[in-house]
Amino acid sequence: MIEFSDVRKAYPDGTVALQSLSLTARAGEITVLVGPSGCGKTTTLRMVNRMVDPSSGTVRLDGVDVSTQDPPTLRRGIGYVIQNAGLFPHRTVLDNVATVPVLLGRRRAEARQAAGELLERVGLDPKVGGRYPSQLSGGQQQRVGVARALAGDAPVLLMDEPFSAVDPVVRADLQDELLRLQSELGRTILFVTHDIDEAIRLGDMVAVLRVGGTLAQFAPPADLLAAPADDFVAGFVGRDRGYRRLQFVGTGSLTLQDFPTTGDGWLLVVDDDGRPTGWRQGDEHVALGTVHAEGGSLRSALDAALSSPAGRGVAVDDDGRVLGGIEPEAVITLLHASSSPAPEAVR
Amino acid sequence: MRLFGADILPLAAEHIVLALVPVLLGLVVSLPLGWWAWRSRGARRVLLPLTGVLYTIPSLALFVVMPLILGTRILDPVNVVVALTVYAVALLVRSVVDGLDEVPSEVMTAGVAMGYRPLGLLFGVQLPLAVPVLVAGVRVAAVSSFSLVAVGAIIGQGALGTLFTQGFERFYTAQIVFGLVSILVLALLIDALLMMLGRLLAPWAAARAPQKAGDAAQRSSTREQGEAAQRSSTRESAV
Repeated sequence: MIEFSDVRKAYPDGTVALQSLSLTARAGEITVLVGPSGCGKTTTLRMVNRMVDPSSGTVRLDGVDVSTQDPPTLRRGIGYVIQNAGLFPHRTVLDNVATVPVLLGRRRAEARQAAGELLERVGLDPKVGGRYPSQLSGGQQQRVGVARALAGDAPVLLMDEPFSAVDPVVRADLQDELLRLQSELGRTILFVTHDIDEAIRLGDMVAVLRVGGTLAQFAPPADLLAAPADDFVAGFVGRDRGYRRLQFVGTGSLTLQDFPTTGDGWLLVVDDDGRPTGWRQGDEHVALGTVHAEGGSLRSALDAALSSPAGRGVAVDDDGRVLGGIEPEAVITLLHASSSPAPEAVR
Repeated sequence: MRLFGADILPLAAEHIVLALVPVLLGLVVSLPLGWWAWRSRGARRVLLPLTGVLYTIPSLALFVVMPLILGTRILDPVNVVVALTVYAVALLVRSVVDGLDEVPSEVMTAGVAMGYRPLGLLFGVQLPLAVPVLVAGVRVAAVSSFSLVAVGAIIGQGALGTLFTQGFERFYTAQIVFGLVSILVLALLIDALLMMLGRLLAPWAAARAPQKAGDAAQRSSTREQGEAAQRSSTRESAV
């Protein structure tokens, strides 16, 4: 658990990076700090491992005031991932990952062995272990950065815009990977980003900061979308807020329709196992598009309905077999029924 | 092997020692000075211009003044070694600063965040990353040192340079040319060895064709060689 109490940071030249911040990042959760540049989010993050010391206020890590700790010792117990990975160019991937264990005094051979296992854990081929960082793609480097932060078995991870410099497709992969890792490892993660979509995607809790370093809202992502605290948060959360909120609403009692098997309209084509393969009307064929997997969010249900040429989306079960059709109206009906500010959360 | 009435091999060995010991000493002195100049803006403002000025002192003047400063005898080889060390420092302090500047800021941030202490960071991360730029500087210093040793012949400590002085006295062109070529060959040989040493010390720099550190090293070495060439031509004309 990371607790900030009345933390303020002002520099000698008079600029105030952080007005007065109090918030708690709960253990085992991802807490995201999001805001425009100049809102003090990186400053806040760096106070946890004492790369920045607050002008006043205290930061506690599992109840212990960090200002009482020796900075290098404190840092070895906290994983850190930065933009562009910041890997050591002169060390192989394996030695990069083994950095903190070696600093902690573990034997190099042992640390390398563990590093190889970590590479697999973050989705890398162990063969890249002998390469230098410059021989990897940006996405691979970032995965190595995550492995390096995990290597010290630190219960706390600080991530400073770790995925901002990679292209959107790779970024989505890395985000998925982080969520998967987190479901296995349950670390306490403090994550900084300027990208609200990333914050909503990854955060168990999201702290929106204003320029000048004040907290505008601290809430779970669904609440942020459903009930922004003020105009700044609403503006920052951005367009399509209503639509994006659908991803946090489950489809528990969605009514499914049957698909017509004959007629002049669009017909769903299925294979022998009952899995959908596409649409057909007369001689015309259209690719399948989005399907809604059972247990998904209202967002995927609505998208399936809207992207189908028949105006009726395909719902499938866990094995990919057709369950039935989704009418857009059914989605809207369900949405009205669940339009409370704290809808059932789906990840 | 005797040529022109002199033992060539001992002369060559003496030349190598007189040229390389100052480079080594210069490196030892330059590392802390360069690190200080890299860390402190004030130190940088004083040290970099100062080393630039040092390099413009004519070598002959320095050789002659050394016994007065050090209290050594006029013909002591220590005079040559100390004078050449001054030139090596003049070149290498800047190389150390440039090399440390070359370390990307995110790598420094990552190093601090991983829990390195300042000395560990210097020896574990910063200096290894400065190697390509440092080696480029050492190569320039070594080659220039080889040519400067010859000037020592005028105060009787020139190793292969004595071939010049004797050749001039006897108006014997072949001896002068031989002296010139042998110094050149030795300098090129040492330069090639240092280049290979650099590759050995920084295998990562060659790991990918277009990569930043190597480009930077190259840029910096061309720049320094250019500057050094300029400076030495100034000095030689002064001599």
